[in-house]
Amino acid sequence: MDDNSTPSGERKLSCSDVSKCFQLLESILDGENMPNSKEMLNEKLAKCEPCFKHFHLEQAIRDVLKTKCTKQTVPSELEASIREIIQDKK
Amino acid sequence: MSEVQRKKYSEQEKSKIFDQEFMPNIDSMYNFAYRLTFDEDDAKDLVQDTYLKAFRFINSFEQGTNAKAWLFRILKNSFINDYRKKSKQPAKIDYQEVETYYNSDDVDYSSTTDLRVDAVKDMLGDEISNALNSLAVDFRTVIILCDLEGFTYEEMAKILDIPIGTVRSRLHRARNLLKDQLRSYASTMGYGNDEEDNNPESEYSE
Repeated sequence: MDDNSTPSGERKLSCSDVSKCFQLLESILDGENMPNSKEMLNEKLAKCEPCFKHFHLEQAIRDVLKTKCTKQTVPSELEASIREIIQDKK
Repeated sequence: MSEVQRKKYSEQEKSKIFDQEFMPNIDSMYNFAYRLTFDEDDAKDLVQDTYLKAFRFINSFEQGTNAKAWLFRILKNSFINDYRKKSKQPAKIDYQEVETYYNSDDVDYSSTTDLRVDAVKDMLGDEISNALNSLAVDFRTVIILCDLEGFTYEEMAKILDIPIGTVRSRLHRARNLLKDQLRSYASTMGYGNDEEDNNPESEYSE
């Protein structure tokens, strides 16, 4: 994988290996531990604009899914009815 | 017949596993079932069936392993084998056919979206939920397992009986489809698709 660095230190506007980079970023966001992932992540975000954008959009999507998705309350009688059936079968 | 005699839990051990490891997951199980079926009664039946099966086959559960992943696997299999068959709306696409297509791990990562981060952050819970619910069940499932329930790729591979590479590629496809949905909401909210900030009410503007 390219290190995406430029002599000037500014972020590159195009990523030379989008497939590998985005796959890496997504795995890191999904909590998959890989060797040197933190160093690689910092490098990408500092030096590659498409990686920077992709990372933050993917992160925002994971955040809203985690925090905003509507949750259903378990019907109050469900646990009792499961226990009852099991008890009857014993 | 299995050559190795499975160890049997005592009745007391069974109750303990059921109470301490299975039942605490009922909230996640019910929400998973509801997000698969979109129906309260079907979700209840699915969760109930899952717990009855879990109790019946409790000897094949190994203590110390992830009970939640074990239960989710049973629920997902029950959904495919039982619920989908008796569903009033049969699956439009043959599952095997879909699997074969999904199993290609070759994913185009270059496809980018012009969805903006602040548009995503401003989405309402209903919009997020609707976008998720609009996805085909196999795409919806990986997002539920990964983002809502926090399973690892390895656990998801076991729950879904697919290789880890397929988990990764299916998740990527699922999120791209989700982004398409969110982008269409974003455009109705008045967020432009271009790069310049055209939202005068942005809290970040000075």
